[in-house]
Amino acid sequence: MRHHFLHQFIVLVIVFTNAASCHAVGPVSTTEPVSYRLCNPNATAETQRLWAVLCQEYGKRALSGVVANVDWNAREAENVYKWTGHYPALNVFDFINIHASRDVNKQGWLDYSDLTPVTDWFETGGVVGCMWHWQVPANNGTNWTCSPGKNPGETSFNPANVNDPASDEYKRMIHDIDQVAGYLKKMQKRGIPVIWRPLHEAAGNSTEFAGGKAWFWWGAQGPDAYKALWRMLYDRLVNYHKLNNLIWVWNSQMNDSDWYPGDDVVDVVGRDNYYALQYPLAKEFRQLQTEYPNKLIALAECGNGDEVDMSLWTKIWGEGSRWSWFMTWYDYNYNAGNSDEHQFAGEQWWKDAFDSGLVIDREQMKELLK
Amino acid sequence: MKGNRIIVVVLCTLFFASLPAVERTILIGPKTIGKAWKDNIVLEPRHFASAHAGDILTVYNDNAKRTAQGAFQNPKTWQGVAPEYGYFGINGPFRMTLTEDILAIAREHGIAIGGHDYRILQVTISDAADYQEQMVWTGPAVMMKDDWSANAEIPASCLKDLRVGDGLRLHISKAKPNAAAKLMDFTWNVLSPALDGVPVGGDSYTWYIYDDAPLLKLALAGYGTNVAMRIGGTGYRLDAIGIVRQVGEVSEDYSAVQRAPREYVLRAGELFHGEKYFPADWSGNLRLTAAPFQQATENDVLLISYTLDPAAKAAGVTPQLSLRNNRTWGELTGAAEPIWYKLDGTDVVYMFDAVALDEVKTRGLILTGVGFTLTKIELISAQ
Repeated sequence: MRHHFLHQFIVLVIVFTNAASCHAVGPVSTTEPVSYRLCNPNATAETQRLWAVLCQEYGKRALSGVVANVDWNAREAENVYKWTGHYPALNVFDFINIHASRDVNKQGWLDYSDLTPVTDWFETGGVVGCMWHWQVPANNGTNWTCSPGKNPGETSFNPANVNDPASDEYKRMIHDIDQVAGYLKKMQKRGIPVIWRPLHEAAGNSTEFAGGKAWFWWGAQGPDAYKALWRMLYDRLVNYHKLNNLIWVWNSQMNDSDWYPGDDVVDVVGRDNYYALQYPLAKEFRQLQTEYPNKLIALAECGNGDEVDMSLWTKIWGEGSRWSWFMTWYDYNYNAGNSDEHQFAGEQWWKDAFDSGLVIDREQMKELLK
Repeated sequence: MKGNRIIVVVLCTLFFASLPAVERTILIGPKTIGKAWKDNIVLEPRHFASAHAGDILTVYNDNAKRTAQGAFQNPKTWQGVAPEYGYFGINGPFRMTLTEDILAIAREHGIAIGGHDYRILQVTISDAADYQEQMVWTGPAVMMKDDWSANAEIPASCLKDLRVGDGLRLHISKAKPNAAAKLMDFTWNVLSPALDGVPVGGDSYTWYIYDDAPLLKLALAGYGTNVAMRIGGTGYRLDAIGIVRQVGEVSEDYSAVQRAPREYVLRAGELFHGEKYFPADWSGNLRLTAAPFQQATENDVLLISYTLDPAAKAAGVTPQLSLRNNRTWGELTGAAEPIWYKLDGTDVVYMFDAVALDEVKTRGLILTGVGFTLTKIELISAQ
């Protein structure tokens, strides 16, 4: 009840200086309220409303989120509901298998043009997110992959050819972007704003230690090619396709400001972390907040890692992290019934999160968006 | 005289033919292989003195998580004893065929069994004769070209009897030095990452099936003449495929068996308990994650307990240890040069400065050194 009262009070005092910008107060700011502005001035009313709620809650509570089970469903959200009686506020879909979508491939096994999983989620009050494990043909000509390299199952796809409209890579990029734009446009027509996180984890671990490298093709040629690709993607979706329902999330791999595409094309800085202990998470949050003071900071992916189990949300929050949202990763084997234990974030973790009163579920989000 | 020799040969042949094939236990657990690749057990070199190329090493296990992985490693280098044994998924007994190269490693250093998220119950060696092979596909043979474009399509009917614990043996010929196989499901996706260009040579390659994940992928193809599996690769000819299954008996002679150390549950504040040897060749090290340090403060100390190694001291080695960061192996305090603690008693008390405390809370630490056996590490509040 205390959080609910506080929320109503804050809603009353927040003043919007611009339809596409908002202020936040609380632990994330220092002395002055910070203005967070959507980079797309033509954002739809629904997108502005979602943005306003994100800003309003920033520093006070985090949106709870999950990723779909591989691609186009709300399977992980159902797990959370089964464990806790709450749905997470955010469900993130992945365009990883667009090459196998039935609207472009008669032998495909899913259909991104059928928006039912997205509209079902949205109409019950959920926030829609989309990410893109952008697969391109592998060197062997048969597989699809994001992994750069010379081996048959990897790809030599060169992102630097974003600057060469005559190249095969450029044509493939445009083809794929236009396909994804079609799905996003359908969402826009249905009034669905999208937290949009493409081209993630670009720097890989290249900034972490000597010999580190990018693990996705879009980072394989370094920051300049990557930033050019990001800006081309932004231009193609926003200016060419007139997609105004996107909140643009760029992923930091830490100490990779060379890879940052720019304030004018990024709304939120995300961080993916599977060494998700409360102390290192708090350090990273503070560092990102310092480096990107005009952006919301989100825990865009998290979960148990190979070495350590993720700290409980109460501990993460208690250490000072104020992530705008978190998104736990899916467990394919759990969802297939092959495992009794969720690999990344199970029942105990989610119960702690909702019991803490520090995260927003789908029902609460529905009220906030009214 | 010639006739007698023939009789002896015939009798010997009959004798060996009538001997039952025997599976010999070399290690008895349990040995828990926990998270994060931290645990392993080294099979002692003596077990391999009488082993032959072609013998099968089997690891029986339980408590395997769905994502469990196994590994057969060289304890000297911690690399897989062969590329395909660096890591692999498991869900049931897992096996390895001992080759001459692997036996050379095993006889000198032993073999480490590692991975994560399962428990070893027993390890055995059995003769190749303990396994029977049923040929399920006999061609027509497919020549795997240099450009990886060729593949053999294996119908579902050939693989219907395949189950966890079996081996699928590819009979090959004309293998070039860089020959590699790629085992795929009917959608052209590899059955597991380890099978994406696995090196092959000699006259065969056996893929042991440790879990049901690849079988589920094969089953998706349906039945009968549907293509269930595609075998591709480069630089060899695929002639035939057989399913290999164990049929031998198990020896009950445990007189030479190796026993896993008794398992121990760490008490509050204990970060390590046991006996970890840090030899004179600098190969010993221990990694601790940041998890137990999350609440640590500058009032806490690390109490590191050890016993000295008399042999190392006699050989002129100065027993010493050093604490490093878990990223670059730099000195934990951030100093340019590592700080060495000379060991001449039973304990080292380590006090954190701000840099070291931040480092262990962020990424944990690595303890390295020579000439001692680590017995315990405790995180203790000095207040």
